[in-house]
Amino acid sequence: MSNFLKYKEVFVQSFQYPGEVTELEYQCINEWDSVGHMQLMTALEDTFSIELDVDDIIEFSSFDKGITILAKYNVVIEK
Amino acid sequence: MILPMNFDINGIKSCQRNRHPLLFIDSAFNVIPGEVASGIKCFSYNEWFFPAHFDDEPVVPGFIQVESLVQTFLMTFLSKVELRGKKTNFLGINNVKFKRKIVPGETLTIHATLESFRRGIATGKAVSFVGQQPACSADFVVSVPDILDQFKPKVMS
Repeated sequence: MSNFLKYKEVFVQSFQYPGEVTELEYQCINEWDSVGHMQLMTALEDTFSIELDVDDIIEFSSFDKGITILAKYNVVIEK
Repeated sequence: MILPMNFDINGIKSCQRNRHPLLFIDSAFNVIPGEVASGIKCFSYNEWFFPAHFDDEPVVPGFIQVESLVQTFLMTFLSKVELRGKKTNFLGINNVKFKRKIVPGETLTIHATLESFRRGIATGKAVSFVGQQPACSADFVVSVPDILDQFKPKVMS
């Protein structure tokens, strides 16, 4: 499975969201609140075996922004 | 080596925000902050719920057993100096099992384990006994909003 599909799957599983997750932003759905955000961060760390810095967790405000942030951890996600 | 800590009722109140009539555990012992905690709850007929549950057969309501478990679980991390006095919220309760009735005059002994505490979300479990007999058990996910909020994205207005 490609990193992109893994990345999408983390969003789908974290939020149990049936729609298009590539368009998601923080707080645009009820499930992506502060609790959902932490569950998403933990799931990404587990999936890609990384440990996110606090600043990156705070900056992680959308699906697209997350791709840029994960690149800093050598997790390349190509759409 | 960390020496286990003991907390009387005032010590428990300094760690968690639950208060009478919803603070159930009487004492906590063998507390290793960030790892484990044990708690005691003594049930006498003076408890406010016994006359109502039930008038002809007083037994401890299930939700009070579960709350006693989670209050012991809270001691596994709210006993850490930097977390004392913080409010908590339930995120999940799973695998709740009740094995026996608890009646006036019995004492519940609870053992809780913290499995992880990451960025304000604690996961773990608690089991309880009356004497040597298993009473109830559950797995918990609890948040500390003050900590959680430090990690949420900034929303552009």
